[in-house]
Amino acid sequence: MKKHFLRFSIAIFALVCLSVSVFAQRGTYAIKNAQIVTVSGSNISNGTIVIRDGLIESVGTNVNIPADAKVFDGKGLTVYPGFIDANTNLAVQRAQRRPPSPTGQNNQPQSNSNYPAVLRPERMVIDSLKAGDGQFTSQRNNGFTTVLTGHSDGIFNGHSAVINLAGDSVSSMVVKSAFAQHVTYRTNRGGIFPTSLMGTFAALRQMFHDAKRLDEIKKMYAKNPRGIKRPEADPSLEALIPIVNGKMPIVFNAVTEREMVRTLDLIKEFNLKGIISGGHEASRLTNRLKTQNVPVLLSLNYPKRTLSENKEADREPLRTLRLRVEVPKVAARLKQAGVKFAFQSGGLKNIKDFFKNAEESTKNGLSKSDALQAMTLNAAEILGVDGQLGSIDKGKIANLVVMKGDIFADDKRITHVFVDGKLFEQPKKPERKKTATTTSGNAPSKLAQVAGTWTLTIEAPGQSIDSTLVLNQQGKVLTGTISSTLFGTAQIKNGEATEKGFNFDVTISAGGQDIEVSFSGTVTGNKVEGTADTAQGPASFTGTKNP
Amino acid sequence: MKSKVIFLTIISICLILPSLAIGQNVLIKNATVMTAVNGTKQNTDILVQNGKISRIGKNLNAGNAQVIDASGKFVTPGIIDAHSHAMMDSVNEISYAVTSMARIRDVLNPKDITIYRALGGGVTAANLLHGSANPIGGLNTVVKFKYGKPIEEFLIPEAPPGIKFAMGENVKRARNAPGQPRRYPATRMGTLEVMRDAFERAKDYKKKWDDFRAGKMRTPPKRSVELEPIVEILEGKRLVHAHGYRSDEHLNLMKLAKEFGFTVSTLQHGLEAYKIAPEIAKFGTGVSIFVDYWGFKIEAYDTIPYNAYILWKNGVVVSINSDSGERIRRLNLDAAKAIKYGGVPEQEALKMITLNPAKQLGIDKMTGSIEVGKDADIAIWSKHPFSVYTKAEMTLIDGEVYFDRKKDIARRSQLAAERKRLEAMEPNLPPNKRGKSKKPATKPKPKSTPVPEGGLD
Repeated sequence: MKKHFLRFSIAIFALVCLSVSVFAQRGTYAIKNAQIVTVSGSNISNGTIVIRDGLIESVGTNVNIPADAKVFDGKGLTVYPGFIDANTNLAVQRAQRRPPSPTGQNNQPQSNSNYPAVLRPERMVIDSLKAGDGQFTSQRNNGFTTVLTGHSDGIFNGHSAVINLAGDSVSSMVVKSAFAQHVTYRTNRGGIFPTSLMGTFAALRQMFHDAKRLDEIKKMYAKNPRGIKRPEADPSLEALIPIVNGKMPIVFNAVTEREMVRTLDLIKEFNLKGIISGGHEASRLTNRLKTQNVPVLLSLNYPKRTLSENKEADREPLRTLRLRVEVPKVAARLKQAGVKFAFQSGGLKNIKDFFKNAEESTKNGLSKSDALQAMTLNAAEILGVDGQLGSIDKGKIANLVVMKGDIFADDKRITHVFVDGKLFEQPKKPERKKTATTTSGNAPSKLAQVAGTWTLTIEAPGQSIDSTLVLNQQGKVLTGTISSTLFGTAQIKNGEATEKGFNFDVTISAGGQDIEVSFSGTVTGNKVEGTADTAQGPASFTGTKNP
Repeated sequence: MKSKVIFLTIISICLILPSLAIGQNVLIKNATVMTAVNGTKQNTDILVQNGKISRIGKNLNAGNAQVIDASGKFVTPGIIDAHSHAMMDSVNEISYAVTSMARIRDVLNPKDITIYRALGGGVTAANLLHGSANPIGGLNTVVKFKYGKPIEEFLIPEAPPGIKFAMGENVKRARNAPGQPRRYPATRMGTLEVMRDAFERAKDYKKKWDDFRAGKMRTPPKRSVELEPIVEILEGKRLVHAHGYRSDEHLNLMKLAKEFGFTVSTLQHGLEAYKIAPEIAKFGTGVSIFVDYWGFKIEAYDTIPYNAYILWKNGVVVSINSDSGERIRRLNLDAAKAIKYGGVPEQEALKMITLNPAKQLGIDKMTGSIEVGKDADIAIWSKHPFSVYTKAEMTLIDGEVYFDRKKDIARRSQLAAERKRLEAMEPNLPPNKRGKSKKPATKPKPKSTPVPEGGLD
């Protein structure tokens, strides 16, 4: 099962990589007649943006379009600053993400650290990234131009980096590395310290004390080494010196109220430049967050019930039920209390939910402009890159998203994404092959009766996928689900019965990505055959209707 | 100037008044008061002002205090559990044999439902201890069960800090399962050696710092979050709560304490303590026991239900603890058993769950009995607290009501309605029903008595 999944992911991944590079172009561009949402200032209608050498050369209504610029007519389009996902583990190479062995043996890269693998803050995420990773493309196609990414394993997760989502090399993608140290409250395995949450706190405390002492001794030694035992060259402690000096931010993964309280206590105890990531109960701690000046990277991975109904199961605790309803209100409450926050995807399975859940916040008291701030300028501020990112201003990096429709609208369509002034035209949704005349106005012809359960075999590149399709038919309209052990169950969309068979679209999640697939099938008796189109290319499928 | 003073006075009165009105001032009227120190007083009032017991007597004037009519009811000091693992997100740090770097304070959950259940059994304070996997375990925290408040308010600033020690089977067994990496010690003598070694290391550590502070070293020694608490034990600043069942272990620990000059605050469990009651009394350590629970492992075989009686008779400060989220609700009945087995006097039995644990935890100056000047940590019972028919009706901490049986019952229908409303909301629907309809599920509920909601949430 796992193996299949991997193979499937690799196949998809390879295709995504191929399809992407084709679109990337760099040069001088001008977008005219567009609605420009600058975020830093007021919106500009019928404005022009000139992009040159990766930067925004000029923006406004009265802008000269240079002769060498490729000009786009932005009529009916809106330009936003590129969206920022303020905390991810995007594209961190799997080999590095596998939980290391507790003793740190057989763990690449080798380190001369005296600490077990879970307590090695010196790791740099940029060593675990690869330019051209399909995950960058997928996130970029959804309008993100910048993310904070970092390792997810260990107690000290290591140094994260702010990166732009395009570039030929990791070094050309980096906006800021290292941005911060990251901490997750977890334990070690195999009976090796720390095996408990309180041990984890003790380990953090001890290392912070040790880093402070090392810093002190190093300074004394630098002044005059005579008579002082030379300080140890310990990469783990050295990585913590800027943390205990309050020079580098430290991001704590803290979702619940008590995780946040513990974090705020620790930040206070060691006078750290702390940031909280997660923050689903942050609205209960606004006073402390404000007093201690701790910003929140608010996770848009809103909790939802995952269990199906079972009358014999214990009822869910009231506090769980309350929390799920309260979380979308947190953003507005933070805003009201003056706590600085930015949105992050928090491991969302489907990155489209980022916008859906941000919109959910706007239905719970947050203004749309504040929601937009939380994914642009505020994120840039917390990540310390607001000088170059987060708004559409002259001289800033040309990270832009151009779309048809409002950012929070369901029918919005991203047409262009600029990253570092490089243009990525968005692959259009695969055109459906018209298998039947379904033009409205004509009298409905005799439709195929396709309701029922179908067993399909999809010939994806490298393997065939068995899946089950359940269709309900009401005249022309089809609803239902398609499921497979590979991608779970997905609702079908735009389902319609035709004279000869059926068409429908579906979004499946596989390998951490969402893949849009358009099915089109021709039915003969209890058999069906057809194509499943994706942006990466078509696959054929065959199937039979279950009796 | 003068008008300014008047203005400020008015402002401050306005600020003070509401805070006085919210439960800190209480008059408990006409109760049978079991003081735990001065016997039982009939038809007696207790006046609480600013969270402290200010008067005990008959026909007291309520003044601005909220009146609780306790006619026909019994009032005791709030129960104190000298051994609990409630509220803890982790219990044992089993990696090392000495884990004095681990702090229970770091992992407390102020919303643990166990707290509310304990309040429903008249418990107001507890000693939250690290587990018994290590000769020297983590640092404890003594709390008042102020359910619903932020964790900082649970702490008792005056309570001296403590630490868990452990001896015997749990220590030997921890990390000695076949096929797993083993950990020293695996014997009782090894356990004692680990303790002795830790004290020696702590002495060296202290000396290093003393030398540094005296200017004998240029660079500061490494700080050790492990050894700092052990230095505090040697300095008499930290109380030792030592888990152990067998009397030979207790005697060994007392020898070790004499050797290094520290005191042991409690022998926890102490199921064989009755065998060496005079020695314990002479040494001056307290014992905190299960009243009649034994036989659950070899080292817990040789006890008798007269343990409490014999220890008391020998002048040992005895407390009865729960070590359990379940038994913590019924410590009043455990105390009653001390009367049944041997005939401990009623007040002495009550002390075993109130004043004695307070003494063992070093908080007896502020709580543990009903006396003027003490914190108003009080339980109000429907019947005599040692009756199996009794129920805790109200539990107060610092004069504030944290459990009110009547209110709890009244709130249940409200909570049930809230549940119904919440369960119908989008994020709480099961995945197959989400996104389809906004209407609540209309399937009839199975016919069974609904379990009442409890707690604040």
